[in-house]
Parts: sequence; C-alpha cells; structure tokens
Amino acid sequence: MKARWGYLLLIPLALSGFLLFGSQLVFLKQSFYQDLAFGKTAAEWTFGNYIKIATDSYYLRTLWLTTYISFIVAIVCMGLGFPIAKVLARLQSRWTTFLLGTIVLTSFITTVIQIFGLIIIFRADGPVNRLLLFLGLSHEPLRLVGTAGGVIVGLIYASFGFAVMLMYGIVRTIPESLDDAAAIHGATKARILTRIILPLSLPGLIVGFLTIFNLSMGAFTSAALLGGGRIITLPVLIQRTMLIDVKYGMAGALAAMLLLFVIVLNLVSVMILKRFRATRGITV
Amino acid sequence: MATHINTDLRSFKTERTVARGLRRRFTLRGIVTVIYFCAVFTMLLAPLIVVIGGSFSAPPNDVVVMSYVEFPPERLTLDWYRKIPESQLKALGFSFALAFAVAIAACVIGVPAAIGLVRGRFFGKGAVAAVLRAPLQIPHVVSGIAFLQLFYLIGQYSGIYLQGTSWGLFLGHLFMATPFVIGSVGAVLQRFNPRLEEAAVILGASRWRSLYRVTIPIIMPGIFTGALYAFIVSFVDVPVAIFLASPEATTFPVELFHAMEQDFNPSSLASASLAALFAMLLVAISQKCVGLDSLLKSKSK
Repeated sequence: MKARWGYLLLIPLALSGFLLFGSQLVFLKQSFYQDLAFGKTAAEWTFGNYIKIATDSYYLRTLWLTTYISFIVAIVCMGLGFPIAKVLARLQSRWTTFLLGTIVLTSFITTVIQIFGLIIIFRADGPVNRLLLFLGLSHEPLRLVGTAGGVIVGLIYASFGFAVMLMYGIVRTIPESLDDAAAIHGATKARILTRIILPLSLPGLIVGFLTIFNLSMGAFTSAALLGGGRIITLPVLIQRTMLIDVKYGMAGALAAMLLLFVIVLNLVSVMILKRFRATRGITV
Repeated sequence: MATHINTDLRSFKTERTVARGLRRRFTLRGIVTVIYFCAVFTMLLAPLIVVIGGSFSAPPNDVVVMSYVEFPPERLTLDWYRKIPESQLKALGFSFALAFAVAIAACVIGVPAAIGLVRGRFFGKGAVAAVLRAPLQIPHVVSGIAFLQLFYLIGQYSGIYLQGTSWGLFLGHLFMATPFVIGSVGAVLQRFNPRLEEAAVILGASRWRSLYRVTIPIIMPGIFTGALYAFIVSFVDVPVAIFLASPEATTFPVELFHAMEQDFNPSSLASASLAALFAMLLVAISQKCVGLDSLLKSKSK
C-alpha cells in the first residue's frame, strides 16, 4: 500500500488558500472603485486610483522615499551584522549562548518597546544629546522623531536581530572543516574569509538582503512612531489613508502598488540568483 | 588509513585551537573584534536597558512630573508597576493568550501541510508550496488592510463581523504564522529517514502508531521551533493588529503603540518591562528545549 501523503495537504491548503486569495482579491477589487465620502465607494470600476498614483508626484515620492530608506536599512543591517554572525557561528566559548540569546531577545521584543527606549535616549535632554553638546560635536540636539535618519535608525533596530539570526544560520551551514583545510594549506584568516566563507554564503546573503529590504518596505511601527507625521513612508501612508481618511479604494490601490513592487523585486532577484548559481556552480 | 589522517587532523586542530586561545587576547584582530562586539551590543541593548531602568525611576521631586524619566534612575520606586493601567494589563494577557492559540493552531495546520509537501508526489506541488509560502512575501501592512476588507465583506453577506474581534485577530495572525511552522518542520522532515517509519510498520505498528511513536518525536524540535516563531510573530505584531484590533480586543503592542502616540506615561515603561521579561523567559526556555543554535539553523531554510 502506498501512503497518499498528498491528502494531508487538503485542509491546510483550503484554509491558506481561502485566507490568501480571499483577502488579496477583496482589497485588489476594492482598489478599482473611486472613493466617495464617509468610506463609501462608487459603483463602477475605474482605474482612477491607479491613475492618480501614477500622476500625483506625492505618491511616487513616497514610494521613492520608502525604497531609499529600506535600501539603506538593508545595507547597514547586513554590513554591521555579518561580522557578528560570522564570529558567533565560529566561536566556541561560553559567551556564545549569551550573545546569541541577546540577539534572539531583540527580535522577541516588539519594536514598539525598542522605539520607546530610543525616544528616551535621544530626547533633547537625554544622555546622547547631553554628551554631544558637552563634547561640542553638535550645537543643537540631535533629533530622532520626524527625521529620515530617525526612521532609518528605528528600522535598523527593528531588523538587526533578524538579520544576524539569518546570517548566523547561513554561516553555520558552511562546514568548519573547509576552514581547517584552507588553514592547513597556509591560508590566513583574512583569506579564509574572502575565499571560502564569503563566496559560499553569498547567495544566502543576497536572499537575506532582500528579506530585510522587504521587511523594511512593509514595516509600519518604526516609521509611524519615529516619522512623527513628517516622514511618511508607504506603509504609514496606507494606514492613514485607510483608518484616518477612510478611503478604502485609494488605500487598496496603494497597497497593491506596494505588493506589486515587492513581488517584482523578488522575482527579478530569484532570476538573478538562479543565473548566478548556474554560472558559479554553487549549491547552498 | 582514513582514521589515521583523521586523528592527525584532530590533534593538529587541538594544538591550533590551544595556541589560538593563548594568543587570542593579544592580537590586534582580537582586540578590534571585542571592541566591535561591545559597541554593537551596547547599541542593541541600550533601548531595552533604558526602558527597564526607567520603569524603576522615581520622579525627582514631589511635584509629580509625569512625562519625566530619569536615566540612570536616582531614586528607585515600584510605583509605576502599581500604576499600570488596567487596559495594558488586559492587553498583555490577551496578547499572550492570542499568541498561544495562534502557535497551537499554526502547528495543527502546519505539521500535516509540511508532511504532505515533503512526502507527497502529485501534480502542481510547486504551486501548492507557493500558496503556502506566500504570506511570507506579502508586506504586513498589506495583509492588515486585506483582512480588514475581507472581514467587512464577510460581514456584509453573512452578518458576522470579524473585525475588532479576537477571532479576526486570530485569523490574521494565523495567516502570517503558519508558513514558519511549515518551513521549520519541512526542514527537519527532509533530513528524516523514512526507513525508520517503514521499520516500525514492518515490526507490526499501524501507520498511526508509527506516526505517533516514530515520526512525531523525531520532528519535535522542528515543531517546537515553528511554534515558537508562530508565537513571536503574533506576540510582536503591530501592522496587522492595528487594523483588526478594537477596544474590546487589543494586543499589547497595539495598546502600547496608542499609549505612545497619545501621552507619555512611565507606567507604559513598566508594562513594557514586563513584556521584555517574558521575552527573556522565552529565550531561556528555547535554549533549554532545543538550543538556540538549532533554532537559528532551521530558520535559514
């Protein structure tokens, strides 16, 4: 008798499929109706919302700002996080568990709490600004709320732990015996890093970069709390259009734009990654 | 011969490790690494330390300055813990129950799905896998408004309004959390040898018995990892819950979010510290149960 494992999928697939297509189709459909006042929408289909997004430079500027911020966040998270992940993945010490636990902890705590702490630290009379003014490094207090820099810092805090966890997993899958083999043949530590660890983890790093970029494109908490109504990223704009302006059609169209942007980006990078693997013969 | 080389290699490695251990403290590379680690971890932990420290700080004088938090605290007090608003405590309890329910449900759905995906041979498997993984690619804000609109529509047709109820939040979080269980259980299953199960059947166990006594125990670490991620996804989420929550059913992050938008109150620091304490407990439990290392390794899949 051959077990028919595929049947196990029926119920999960039905539920996931309903939640996925149900929710996505409803909001995509809604995005084709013009908004009237008080959350009502017009009866006929139009592309009006999309035309407005494409022609109004405000929406395009928001998309650009969100992309730009997410790009910087992903670069910084990967760049600052990789040395941490690499050392932790190879370190055999009683500190490893403690340091790993700290990293895991930061992603177990809601971003709201971290932002709470950041706002206190960067208050005008907070410790950082008192130090900066005292050292004469800055003449006026550094502001976090309502600046693009603040939103970037907040998003980095939101994703950093996740980025390190991701890269730790990647470096751990590279056998340590490869390091040893290279060392026996006289490779220096720097050479082991550039010739073994980096090339082998590169596909994983690219996926990691995209994951952080995606997360930041959709990240709401840091952008809403630190943007202070002045720096408005796409997720914040979507939330405001939906809950404050009560324009369901427009919010749907903006969400569709964000979704499309992220999906296209993912598809393109999957294609690049496939070619990359084919030419380099790397299987990770 | 092979063992001979192996022992040689091992002794070489031990010597090298010992030598490295002796040298490590004094190399420039070691010093730079330690400084870098100290700097990054200080920055990473600073917000948390300030929140927890601030929750114990007493106002500098008797004229109560609500919006003032002294850090480092000069006088310690537990007042803020006594003054945590009831709504925040309620939200904390609600968040905990919700995350727990989501973790259980995600396993109930995710484990069979992972077994079916790894073992099944059928047409269109790639598409099925794509549907099951899709929630990971959708930006959370988009999921949030999509579910709100879906619930409006269901309400219009059936009269059952899910928005603002705990069931609505449950469905939204379940949607986001299930792929994590499928991913981590699938990763363990792929390494699992089906012969073990066949052996159990040959020895007279029924299929169910072999599933309960052989397969499930072996994939348990994967289930635990998946359940933990499902719990966390629900416990820290803001972008979906902010659309689906209502005063009757609010998660803790959303309650805290609104508290921060309105006015600053140090008792929010106290409730945030409680949530952080709980997160630390969770990290300790996962280290005890599966080990952080395997927790992170199954995440990369």
